Amino acid sequence: MTNKASQDAVVIERTFDAPVDLIWQMWTDPERFKAWYGPDGAVIPVAKMDVRIGGSRLVCMEMSSPGGPTQMWFTGEYREVLENQRLVYTESMSDEHGNVSSPPGMGDGHPVTTEVRVELEDVGGRTKMLLTHAGIPGDSPGAAGWAMALDKLAAYVA
Amino acid sequence: MVDSIGTLGYFPTWFISCYGKYQACVIMIAIDEDRLTETFSALANSTRRAILARLAEGAATVNELAEPFAMTLPAISKHIKVLERAGLVVRGQRAQYRPCALDGARLEEVSTWAEQYRAVWEASFDRMDDYLAQLQRQTKGRRTL
Repeated sequence: MTNKASQDAVVIERTFDAPVDLIWQMWTDPERFKAWYGPDGAVIPVAKMDVRIGGSRLVCMEMSSPGGPTQMWFTGEYREVLENQRLVYTESMSDEHGNVSSPPGMGDGHPVTTEVRVELEDVGGRTKMLLTHAGIPGDSPGAAGWAMALDKLAAYVA
Repeated sequence: MVDSIGTLGYFPTWFISCYGKYQACVIMIAIDEDRLTETFSALANSTRRAILARLAEGAATVNELAEPFAMTLPAISKHIKVLERAGLVVRGQRAQYRPCALDGARLEEVSTWAEQYRAVWEASFDRMDDYLAQLQRQTKGRRTL
């Protein structure tokens, strides 16, 4: 397991002892996705995924808290869908109908959108996965991979 | 732009950190979202990113920065002003040269913001590992039957 801290994104590389098509299902089959996604203690009661370019997704995360269960909803759109190779989608907090909302505590509308990029590679029956989770500048929603251009800067700040 | 905790415009970004069996703890990380938006906007331009990449190698004058681009000096100056306003670039006071230099503080904020997600992902992938092992045991079990 290797972790690289880029200046602008979380990059996690991890190898799973499973074939690439199974890892693809982990991300694209709602039932499989629900089984692992989210922080410890969270359950995923709802995962709707229209896995095709432009298709939407809606995920509910439920956490038990002293005051009862708390639900958080996330919506997004698939940007790249290349079976067993690459999956790119956006994510914003939303309500249960998929209407984008601002994170709690925030006044009016600065929805924070992030982009999740999953790249898979078959390594002799195992699967190497590269996850990149980056923020997307508000005025360039289509700037997939923009984060990469800043690699040089990471060295400067490090 | 506000730079103290608790003031309007400065709000905590939620972050789920750890969950015990009976109680949840939610850690709030304070990040100035307005400033983050400004930083992201400034970064959302390939010319400006190229300027920053050049400055990562060392300070440079506006003329030097303009060189690789097919752009007028005023156009480049405009981009530099955007970077300056976002706090990504600082200008020196040396006579009329006023060399530009990179200021890493804002980029670190972007990094801090992004890093919030790491713990959540790592926990998820640990669970994926367990789930995969469980699925593959089931498949093996079926095969041997």
